[in-house]
Amino acid sequence: MYFALTDDQRDFSRAVRDFLRARFDLEAVRGVVEDPEGDGHPAALWSAMGEQGWLAVLVPEERDGLGLGMVDAQAIARELGAGVAPGPWRGTVLAAEAIRLAGSGSQQEQWLPKLASGEAVGALATRGSSENGWQGVEYAQVADVIVAADGAGLRILRHDEITTRALAGYDATTRLSSVALAEGAGEPLPGGTAEVLDELAARAAVLVAADLVGISREALTRTVDYDRERKQFGVPVGSFQALKHSMADLHVGVTMAEHAVLYAAHALDSGSGMDDSTALAVAVAKAKASDIALQVTGAMIQYHGGIGYTWEHEAHFFFKRAKRLAGTAGTADEQRRRIAELTMN
Amino acid sequence: MDLTYTADEEAFRAELREWLSANIPEEWVKPGFWRNLPEAEAFELRRNWEREKALAGFAGIQWPVEYGGRGGTPGMKAIYDEEMVLAHAPQTVNALGLTFLAPTIMAIGTEEQRKEIIGPMLRNEVIWCQGFSEPGAGSDLAALSTKGVRDGDDFVVNGQKVWTTNAMHGDKIFTLVRTEAGSERHKGISMLLIDMDQPGVEARPLKQMSGASEFGEVFFTDARVPADQCLGEIGEGWRTAMLLLSFERGASGMSQYTEFRRQYDDIVGVARALGRDQDPVLRDKLARVLTELECLRYHSMHVLTQVEQGRDLGSEASMTKLQWSETYQDLWEVFDDVLGADVTLSEPVPGLDLAAFHAEAMWSRSVTIWGGSSQVQRSIVAERVLGLPR
Repeated sequence: MYFALTDDQRDFSRAVRDFLRARFDLEAVRGVVEDPEGDGHPAALWSAMGEQGWLAVLVPEERDGLGLGMVDAQAIARELGAGVAPGPWRGTVLAAEAIRLAGSGSQQEQWLPKLASGEAVGALATRGSSENGWQGVEYAQVADVIVAADGAGLRILRHDEITTRALAGYDATTRLSSVALAEGAGEPLPGGTAEVLDELAARAAVLVAADLVGISREALTRTVDYDRERKQFGVPVGSFQALKHSMADLHVGVTMAEHAVLYAAHALDSGSGMDDSTALAVAVAKAKASDIALQVTGAMIQYHGGIGYTWEHEAHFFFKRAKRLAGTAGTADEQRRRIAELTMN
Repeated sequence: MDLTYTADEEAFRAELREWLSANIPEEWVKPGFWRNLPEAEAFELRRNWEREKALAGFAGIQWPVEYGGRGGTPGMKAIYDEEMVLAHAPQTVNALGLTFLAPTIMAIGTEEQRKEIIGPMLRNEVIWCQGFSEPGAGSDLAALSTKGVRDGDDFVVNGQKVWTTNAMHGDKIFTLVRTEAGSERHKGISMLLIDMDQPGVEARPLKQMSGASEFGEVFFTDARVPADQCLGEIGEGWRTAMLLLSFERGASGMSQYTEFRRQYDDIVGVARALGRDQDPVLRDKLARVLTELECLRYHSMHVLTQVEQGRDLGSEASMTKLQWSETYQDLWEVFDDVLGADVTLSEPVPGLDLAAFHAEAMWSRSVTIWGGSSQVQRSIVAERVLGLPR
């Protein structure tokens, strides 16, 4: 029985974390957050992502990727969450996944190496249709290729085939748009079956859940560290039992969410497709990660006291990103509806 | 990531499953069988069955073969825990001895103690009770006041223990006794192994809110115990006790998950029988608790991995206790929600006998108290895992 990351996987995680701490810390994040008119896509971070192989994680080796699995991808996603890092990592990885799962040989050849290196930026649009357009697409404005899903399947949309409209939103660690396309535009992916759409949605859910878990762990650690030092009434506020007990519960919750995301990622790697057991694992992971992230980031503000409510403090970066991602790739309520379907019939 | 067991471990599973299938009468698996038996008869049946299981080589799974154990791996123990639940195997009658006393004896007992105690315990020739808690010493165990005064070769023991599982059936009780006059708190305590079959030891049942009396009280009135019937050093009983309690840490939570997951399915069945399984609010509540149950399963695999890697779980074991006990309580609160207005009724519709369900729901109020209350566990997690100041 080995339910853990391997040493190599842990090293890779650490490398991502160390890189972000050294080269794109919270001050750099603040730079993006405080420039909401900007494209939210810092060039230095993006080229590093390409160079370090973070974009190539799921792309097969024969397409210039690392040929790794969801367990490796979720580890990267976790660190990006912990660093509240901006940039189209997830959209690019998921667009590549869509093309890998459903694209023709020549589509794969055309796009996968470029997405793996970061030469092309990708986005995934799943909420919408070709008639009405797609809502809430991350980094559509800078994407070279958007993979869009609807009832008819999957299609590749190039930047010159779409119009985008920026959507104002309060999580400024990303940029969101609606996407509309000209009639008849887009190149279908031949393998865009309902099964493949489910697999893609599951991968999206797990990568979002991993980001949420990264946010949660980092938010909790910072809060514990702060309350260990901050004194009021002559003692550290972390010595008060009400806070201690709450943080103990949050630690248990974050730990459970970490397990759930790891398990779901492994289930997707195990090659059984979207059977009920995998579907359940994914729904559990996304529900748990969403819930705990909202709890922890709310507690982060509360247990920092007044300073946690300031613009100057970083708590709101975690809080807002958690809010957005809790609503992305299926809310906790939606995941629970799925869980009930899977376990009550 | 590799969530499989080894080939040898799976072979053990097959062997155990076959034995269980051949040795658990079908009657025993029927709902209500154990509850409807008189308690003494049920106890004897369980005692004898468990003895046969031990003789067949399915006891003390991780213990050395020389002491009657199976000499197996942590993976085999996890498999054993799972298969016993799946087969509806009867509950052990020697839980405290098996979980706590035996590993402690193997760790720090004398060779004579190992030889004398472990085999007879495995075969249920000797039933052991745990004498720790007292009316004045629950969460604060160091406040214990049961005294042992030296008289020749013996200690003469006076005091009272409470919450003693199987007190009415116990042959011996491993007991924390204050053997140093004037000692306070953790100092001057000894873990004495006391014979319950003597005039100075009286066991009385303690009736719980469920109506059952799984627990009892044990009164010591000039009870005698030879001074050499001490586990660990005289006066070092606190250290012995902390080592003893640490043996719960390796418990992965696998048997709890297997049990609770089946209970979840049964509760869904009740919802269906009452025509309430389509109610969106109940479905959401069930899904929430199912999420926590699956997390308990993943955590079990994580714990098993740590144990196999030789890592000491330390204070992290408090997380396992919190997760399983709080989730179990939540599960049974959802059951109550499913019953709605008929929540207290044994048979809300004719033919739907919920006595066993209510028994679990009632029991769930206790699980967050014993074994270290949830409040104590949270303090441990906060202080020893998160490093928050005491």
